[in-house]
Amino acid sequence: MEYFLNQLVNGLCQGAIYALMAIGYSVIVGVVGMVTFTYGEIMMIGAFSAYYIFQAFGNNLPLAILAAFTGSFVIGIIVYKLCYEKFFNAPRHISLLCTIGISMLIKNLAQIVFGPETKPVLDIIENRTFTIMLGSVRLDIKLLQIVVILLVIVLAGTLTLFFNKTKWGIALRAVSQNKDAAYLMGINVKRTALIGNCIGSGLGGVAGILLSIYYYSVSATMGGAYSMKAFAASVLGGLVDIRFSALGGLCIGIIENLGIAVSAATFRDVFAFGFLILVLLIRPQGFVSKKGVRV
Amino acid sequence: MIDFSQIDTNVPMLESKGLCKYFGGLKAVDNVDMKIMPGDIFGIIGPNGAGKTTFFNMCTGMYTPTKGNVYLMGEDVTGLSAERVARKKMARTFQNLQLFKFMSVLDNVKIGCHIGTKTNMVDSIFHTKRYKQDEEYVVHKSEEILRAIGLYEYRDTMAGNLAYGMQRKVEIARALALEPYILLLDEPAAGMNPQEKEELMEFIKMLNDGGYTIAVIEHDMKFVMNSCNRILVLNFGQKICEGTPDQVKSDKQVHEAYFGKGIIAGEAVKVHG
Amino acid sequence: MEKAKDFYEKHKLIVYLILFAVSLVVPFVIEQALILRYICTIMMYATLAGSLNVINGYSGQTCLGQAGFFCIGAYTCAALTKNFGVSFWIVLPLAGILAALVGLLVSLPTLKLSGIYLSIVTLGASEIIRIIAQTWTPVTGGALGIKQIPYPNLFGLELFRPKYYYFIFLIIGVLFLFITSRVLRSRVGRAWMAIREDQVAAKSLGVETSRCKCTNFMYGAFWAGIIGAAYAPFVNYIESSQFTTDTGFNVLAMVVIGGQGTLLGPIIGSAIVTILTETLRFLENWRYVIYAIIIILMMWVRPQGLLGASDSILAGGKIRRKEKEQGGKKA
Repeated sequence: MEYFLNQLVNGLCQGAIYALMAIGYSVIVGVVGMVTFTYGEIMMIGAFSAYYIFQAFGNNLPLAILAAFTGSFVIGIIVYKLCYEKFFNAPRHISLLCTIGISMLIKNLAQIVFGPETKPVLDIIENRTFTIMLGSVRLDIKLLQIVVILLVIVLAGTLTLFFNKTKWGIALRAVSQNKDAAYLMGINVKRTALIGNCIGSGLGGVAGILLSIYYYSVSATMGGAYSMKAFAASVLGGLVDIRFSALGGLCIGIIENLGIAVSAATFRDVFAFGFLILVLLIRPQGFVSKKGVRV
Repeated sequence: MIDFSQIDTNVPMLESKGLCKYFGGLKAVDNVDMKIMPGDIFGIIGPNGAGKTTFFNMCTGMYTPTKGNVYLMGEDVTGLSAERVARKKMARTFQNLQLFKFMSVLDNVKIGCHIGTKTNMVDSIFHTKRYKQDEEYVVHKSEEILRAIGLYEYRDTMAGNLAYGMQRKVEIARALALEPYILLLDEPAAGMNPQEKEELMEFIKMLNDGGYTIAVIEHDMKFVMNSCNRILVLNFGQKICEGTPDQVKSDKQVHEAYFGKGIIAGEAVKVHG
Repeated sequence: MEKAKDFYEKHKLIVYLILFAVSLVVPFVIEQALILRYICTIMMYATLAGSLNVINGYSGQTCLGQAGFFCIGAYTCAALTKNFGVSFWIVLPLAGILAALVGLLVSLPTLKLSGIYLSIVTLGASEIIRIIAQTWTPVTGGALGIKQIPYPNLFGLELFRPKYYYFIFLIIGVLFLFITSRVLRSRVGRAWMAIREDQVAAKSLGVETSRCKCTNFMYGAFWAGIIGAAYAPFVNYIESSQFTTDTGFNVLAMVVIGGQGTLLGPIIGSAIVTILTETLRFLENWRYVIYAIIIILMMWVRPQGLLGASDSILAGGKIRRKEKEQGGKKA
């Protein structure tokens, strides 16, 4: 019981990071209307931006987050220019392959530039553990976990405000729902899609730094596995709905950790993807009630 | 050729009873009854947005009706998928051309022969007797149809490269390859010049004489009034009139809803003609 | 290009005879085992890419999970021949059938949804298959993989030299091309292409789109399974990391570079990609940078691939519009 509860907390924390990844991913898929495979590399760039900030300025978390966001934002612009801008009306596989190409490009350039080895990211957040007693059950919560969860909540909240209250946010939502109608309403679809893609990428970068803090390491090849998780989470949420994607991320995080609790750590991904397939079998459009993007 | 003699002429070819389609609060088609008898050229008219195409889509299984039933030769086909309905000898064309644009005209028609053939993967790998028979049938049938409709010389042209009126014809040819008893044409003359329209009208009449039952959505009043023997008028999703051209012409509701107040159908025909 | 086509049309038999003679001679002329292994790899990928092309290029579904079917084939072969001593020649079709069944399972839930979901589910399925291979230790050897996979045995002759694999892959490849070209030129292939061009119209003509997509998917998975089964003894050692989604993307890149919807495209694509990544080995990571740039350039300059026709639904909207204008002028 105790073990389960602790795993639940771990799952919640990991789920929060997944949720942030999924939010970024679904923002991108929503505004550009195409699946992307560069997301893992975008997260990696974010993590590395933060890593070099830590190297240069010490453990300055806000600055690192800003750097991660900016670094990924810039990569987002490049990705947009190379993969999407020309191909909005083209068959899907073209932009898809472009993103695969970019992903390969960034991954290998990163290995050349940053080096292929895994780099440690230590002691960014003080290693302190809070213990809560629920009756006889002992619950350990790390400071790191609290910071991560709070950060995700704050970011998600800001994003929600941005989407609902600002002109840009509303334009973004309009574009992600229907590009043609948005165009007719006088919205500059391409620029909005660019901004949306970059914001999504920026969020991915922040998720990347959270991952590197959570796992105490950063490497040029870290992207692949996590991009699949982001992908799975946003599929659960019906690909474009931000709230449901966040929920999907949370679910995957919790299920993974509870799954590990009943089996072995190597089965982590089996649970994540097993859950995904299960949901897709029962409800192929994910949690969301609509049929997702019509691409 | 198709054997039309098996059709029971007393049973309606296509019948709808209380057919409804609601999109949320919008009643695109509301409670429409229709009866197309074998051998009819049946016109469906109505202003833009009257629900004509939606009605067609329900008849052919593209949409599932919200309420009501569709009967094809007395058989209930409500809710059957489009491909199942097509197998029951009902073919259709589309308002906004759904050709296989990047395939040749001949290939377009060949795909139309899909349900008339039975070749499976094993047959095609080993070139069995069935494969050979089917291929022979498909080629023969397609060329026959293309000759009849006057597209034979364009058989190797990519369908998307043809002129608009021609593309419409390809679509009809493709539908005919199904060997249907009933043919649903959704604005077949749209985008055609008067001469092409004339030819198409002749062709439709010829098909009808050959035994095909035809339902056609058309905006051209002259076309409908002169060719159809029965007409259904829709407005805002509701049926306002069903009858012979003369009945429709003299129907007051039709005048008001369709032609606008003050003009009568006969004059509209004269103006257009 | 046009001339080559004309020549082929006129002298089909001669072309085939020359190709046949050349392909027979190759393993005896080329002495170095390494080069022969490269050629084998190219032929293997050509068939694998071809099997993906049947799905992506002919029925227009974007499948991203070909690595998964490949993985099933390889592990079926490895596990059965190693643990149970089943003959390779029995395992070969068995692996194909198993992969096809999994293909059916994967395609079923997505039939009613838009194409993007098929891509997603295939990608997810490919990853799940790999993870199962990684974790199901009793059968698949877990993370260690399966080593020393028994060589196929042909009438007492143990096939272990690259020369033998050359012929195995050649026969599989030729069979694949032969059978696929026959299927494509029949009612079945026409139905697939109809789905690619316009699904709604295909439905209205009575093409059972769901069933056709299923058979198409199973057919592609079947050949991926077979080639996977032949791959296992060829490399003699398989582990789950050989079947990541990157492998799938690699195969997809071969198809797209060569030209979707053409039978020869995947062969050219696999030759280009394999030669590029193998000969530039000394460049280490830079070779993937070059590869990536080629992919992106290709998509910008020639999205239909090297052999693909520009007037095809797979070539993209830009070209389509241009074609239409030209068509209008002609008419």
